[in-house]
Amino acid sequence: MKRLQTCLWPILLLPMLAFGGHRMDMDSMVMNENPMTLPEGCQKIAGDQKITVHAGRKHAKKFPGVVFAYDQQSWDVDPCTRLTVHFVNDDDIRHQFMVHGLPEKTYPEGMFTIEVSGPGEETASFILPPYKKTYLVHCDIAQHTEHGMKAQIKVAGGDKDLASLPGLTKPVRPDRYPTVWNTQSVIFLVLALAGGLVLVWGGRWLFKAMSD
Amino acid sequence: MNVIRFFYLLGIAISLTLAWIFFPGPRTEAGARAPSTVKWVPSLDDTEEFCQFDHPEWRKAQTIEGVEIEEDPQCKPDNPYLVASVVKGTDRVTMPTLMKTRLAMDAVVKKDDRDGDGDPDVIHIKLEVAELNGSTPDGDFFIPGYRIAPGLTPGIWVFAPKMRGMATVDAVNLDANRMLRAPSPPIRVEQGDTVYLTLENSHYLPHTIHLHGVDHPYTRADGQGNDGVPVTSEKMLMPGQKRTYEIKPRQPGTMLYHCHVQTDKHMLMGLQGMFIVEENRPNNWLQTFNIGAGKVRHRSQANRKQFDQEYDLHYQSLDKERYQPIQAYNDPRLVAKGMNRDYNITDSNENFFLLNGEAFPYTLRDSLVVVEPEQRIRLRVANGHPHTLGLHFHGHKTTAISADGVPLDAPVTRDVHGLAPAQRLDLVLDTHDDGLHSFGEGAWLMHDHAEKSVTSDGLGPGGDIGLVVYRKYLDQNGFPKLQGMDPVPFFNRWFYQKQVPVWARSEEWAIFADAAPLPPNTIRVIISGVFLGLALGLLVALWRHWRKGQ
Repeated sequence: MKRLQTCLWPILLLPMLAFGGHRMDMDSMVMNENPMTLPEGCQKIAGDQKITVHAGRKHAKKFPGVVFAYDQQSWDVDPCTRLTVHFVNDDDIRHQFMVHGLPEKTYPEGMFTIEVSGPGEETASFILPPYKKTYLVHCDIAQHTEHGMKAQIKVAGGDKDLASLPGLTKPVRPDRYPTVWNTQSVIFLVLALAGGLVLVWGGRWLFKAMSD
Repeated sequence: MNVIRFFYLLGIAISLTLAWIFFPGPRTEAGARAPSTVKWVPSLDDTEEFCQFDHPEWRKAQTIEGVEIEEDPQCKPDNPYLVASVVKGTDRVTMPTLMKTRLAMDAVVKKDDRDGDGDPDVIHIKLEVAELNGSTPDGDFFIPGYRIAPGLTPGIWVFAPKMRGMATVDAVNLDANRMLRAPSPPIRVEQGDTVYLTLENSHYLPHTIHLHGVDHPYTRADGQGNDGVPVTSEKMLMPGQKRTYEIKPRQPGTMLYHCHVQTDKHMLMGLQGMFIVEENRPNNWLQTFNIGAGKVRHRSQANRKQFDQEYDLHYQSLDKERYQPIQAYNDPRLVAKGMNRDYNITDSNENFFLLNGEAFPYTLRDSLVVVEPEQRIRLRVANGHPHTLGLHFHGHKTTAISADGVPLDAPVTRDVHGLAPAQRLDLVLDTHDDGLHSFGEGAWLMHDHAEKSVTSDGLGPGGDIGLVVYRKYLDQNGFPKLQGMDPVPFFNRWFYQKQVPVWARSEEWAIFADAAPLPPNTIRVIISGVFLGLALGLLVALWRHWRKGQ
């Protein structure tokens, strides 16, 4: 069955390939779909992996101060894997699953994109390069990335973690919130004060002992 | 003993007082000769070309997919493929045409010629909400970037046609793409059309649409609110949600649409646009969106019959304190608090003044009114300022023929037209050189005569200065031929930061540059120094006296 599927890929995808990996209708858009062409350095497709990604307001509610999010912020993928993304938009507005940093020889502008125009879903595949690297995934609608719709794909464990991933990593430019002193803060301050006094007193005692 | 100490202290006090009195002040009087001039020659490296535009072929008159598109000779005309797409409908144009725009395929859908007059009568329009120059948790920059003038990036919200793809130019250039700009685009529909206007709230705060002055029922057919007012008509549209407003306007005219959530913030942040209902005519295919306002490149049938050209002129202003939260914070709770509780419009002052979403000198690139002699041009003007607009035309007296979409019984010809906030006027610009309507050819200024409006944050020339330019005063790149001040400094990104002066390249710089500072007056320095020394000496003596007494 798996062999049959592999043989059918080119036939099934012919119309798509005729448009250079782009397809678009009222409901969705896919750019740079690539289920067949191996990125430089890959000898063969190492395997198939499928992920389902949900996007929308409701997935952000578990993160305070975040408005839009995917249901997951990080995926691990092996090198040269053909990744099939089933992208489900749970909102009434557009959302995107846009990957950056891919090799430009295979992916124009280094991007792979699925955009779903409103409530609905779309599926598309692309082959990841062989190198250990972390790829940015985001929604490039104005201020969606900035308000939480950001994630990463780590190939071979990735070379880093990206900043500002909801619940996972710190922002490069974090917000500053009002400060409120609680009991613990006051206790720490008093203890620190006492520590400072002890240091002075101890220093004087030590100096005196050494002088004697 | 105490008496001696008292005199010491008194002496110190008197000495310090005299030292302070005689100490040289921040300004020094010059003698017979004023100080020389400091030659301040700022770098002009960050100066843009007057006309930066990569599609000069867009300027000419052309027909795309059967849609006739008028010439627009100015530097940055509208994308003719976008014009064709919104005239025919984004679902009807071919894919190559649509791909030359960023429009979504369902942005403008036109159907059903109900009255059999050759044009569609059921129109579906989709809008999104976009933030320009908002903050990001990923660094110290604003995204998507949008400059209203060189170096000026205020925070703005706009309604935008539903798009596809990236908000930015590309993955490297983080400026907003060409379609994503201020003002919220003028929308055109035909009298009697059934219009479904859908707002897809892609922003992180709630919004609505109020169809200001447009004939619309209070409720939709299903009983839901249709007036866009959260207090009376409907709930706010939350992030990620959509709502469709249903209208069938019976009267033509120039109207508005705007967000009615916290109008003192949202509307004045830029969520306001012109909504034009055109007279019903046969075969009346309309340009549903006029991105960036300005010239209408595919006009209605009625307009073509009565006028030679048509322009949309949208005036609005921005307040630094109002938009500050969206540039200071990412967390919407901090933004909401900053805007809704900390900001107070009654204490506010507007800082930036825009004509069609940009300030001078960018208005010279795509907000010119380019005319020929002996033309009649319809100008649809909307006042989006929170203050009265006194629209003044140099070299012309225009005639108001309609106010708020209602024809005037007695048209008024003036060189300053007053528009109350949110008011619209339809003006006729007549270029017949008769000494009244036109004084002849030239590159004539047009601007709000509330003088702060011709500045950008208090620095002029800036703000909403625009031009009525006769064709022979336009160069081959569509930029007006200016014969006044050197415009190079205006296009430098540091000009509006007050780092590059107007006279940066003037030979007469010695008149305007800074006078060299003077050294302090020598006598004052000596007297002040003596008293300071005296005070110090008395202090030492007092200390010694005190020690001796121990």
